Amino acid sequence: MIRAENLTKRYGDTTVVRDLGFTVHPGTVTGFLGPNGAGKSTTLRMLLGLDAPTRGHATVDGRPYAAHPAPLTRVGVLLEARSVHPGRSAYDHLMALAHTHGIPRARVERVLALTGLTHVARKRVKGFSLGMGQRLGIAAALLGDPATVILDEPVNGLDPEGVLWIRTLLKSLAAEGRTVLVSSHLMSETALTADHLIIIGKGRLLADTTVDELVRSSGGASVKVVTPEPDRLRGLLPGAQVTVEAPDTLLVTGPDAPEIGRTAAAHGLALHELTPRAASLEQAFMALTHDSVEYQGAPA
Amino acid sequence: MTTPAPAHALTTTRVLRSEWHKLWTVRSTWITVLTAAALLLGVGILMGATYTSDGGDSDVDTVVLALYGSQLGGIALAVLGILVTAGEYATGMIRATLTAVPRRLPVLWAKAAVYTTVVFAVSFPTALLTFLTAQFFLSDTDQAASLTDDGVLAAIAGNAAGVTLLGLIALGLGAGLRSVPGAIGAFVGGVLIVPEILGMLPYEAMDTAVRYFPTQAAGALGSATPLPGAASPGAALLALLLWAAVAVAVPALLLKHRDV
Repeated sequence: MIRAENLTKRYGDTTVVRDLGFTVHPGTVTGFLGPNGAGKSTTLRMLLGLDAPTRGHATVDGRPYAAHPAPLTRVGVLLEARSVHPGRSAYDHLMALAHTHGIPRARVERVLALTGLTHVARKRVKGFSLGMGQRLGIAAALLGDPATVILDEPVNGLDPEGVLWIRTLLKSLAAEGRTVLVSSHLMSETALTADHLIIIGKGRLLADTTVDELVRSSGGASVKVVTPEPDRLRGLLPGAQVTVEAPDTLLVTGPDAPEIGRTAAAHGLALHELTPRAASLEQAFMALTHDSVEYQGAPA
Repeated sequence: MTTPAPAHALTTTRVLRSEWHKLWTVRSTWITVLTAAALLLGVGILMGATYTSDGGDSDVDTVVLALYGSQLGGIALAVLGILVTAGEYATGMIRATLTAVPRRLPVLWAKAAVYTTVVFAVSFPTALLTFLTAQFFLSDTDQAASLTDDGVLAAIAGNAAGVTLLGLIALGLGAGLRSVPGAIGAFVGGVLIVPEILGMLPYEAMDTAVRYFPTQAAGALGSATPLPGAASPGAALLALLLWAAVAVAVPALLLKHRDV
């Protein structure tokens, strides 16, 4: 379990993280979301004691990270910035970290296999692609078989297969009862794996919620309907909130897709398309973080 | 993945083991160590082979003459010291290191210990070998000497100790400045050049003080006969130990509190 209380980080006049408080529970994947520059990486570094908070404190399983006798078995971490000597091989990099805790060679080989790096383990990291570098970072995070896993933007640079692998890995880590905290600036990607969400913007907590709750609070899911008789359909859905996207396209919030389909069938009304949309999640995230985006594109 | 976390605790010995592993798994270590050894031996052979009794170098200390290459070799070893500490900041490795050892200080102690051991263990035998090789050429000159002569063995050990402690100062500079070029600049400028300039100033007090500066103290340690205007070997060793202690202690204080 991770707990942050009143975490604040100031560099000169700039406050990067402000009075941030949250708890990350075991057994679920918690998404740590925010636009670029929201203070996610700084927060994660403060959790690990790499950066000292200006105010407030953070604990892992009730103690500051540095106070644990075997830190690597408590928390495994993938940081966003590369943290490897490029001239060392993947095996030697992991072995150097393993030696600090007396972790055996067999475990190093295990995490290399788990991350699919066995065949390049003796090659120098210099020649690794971005995706292979990410896999090595994840191998290092899993080295101590930790109860808590913190991954900063893990899908960065991964190919689709790698992204899928990360999703499965995160879910299985949580299913094993571990605490999993994953930062991202992409709502859509996070929603696929995370159950819980901590959303920050400009260093402040914007929401500490679940995916379901966020969907509900943003007005729920909507359904895209294409029909040659939009006006007639609107008349048949009295309780629904309907927006007209195009002359033949409606966006319906309220009744779900099966209900709309049944209603249309009962009245002999033709439907050309009936698509449930979860896009509202992305919109909810945008709405929430809109004011805290650091660089905004101006309309052309 | 389903097995519970084994009780692998962090210990000082294990951090030492890790730093030892790190040192020997990058090429730069082999390159700098072999370069230093080759320079020491090569320059020693050159000195021995080209020496003539009437060449005007009769007053040069015999150990200083044979181990002349340790000045160049020492720079290679100082670079190694800087790479051991500042190199981790250049690559980002420091974040992984300090995540594994979040109490931080054991990392610096381990780096200093491993570096000191390795550099002395390489420098001393290489210096012995170089002296004996040079003597092979010098045996029928006025620089003929043997290991059993007064002060010779102590000077050879002193030379290795001097190189090691100068390198430890470089390691400390790397830890404090966190930049490889910055630390190399500070070492060459601050440790090698500035004292030479200060020594040339016409103040007697300055002249006396400069004797106890790192490079000058190392010079005094590596001479079998007392050099004119130099500190005694005992005082030189003490001064050099203090310099090295300060050079490691200051970055240790900083390391405890600075963000990574």
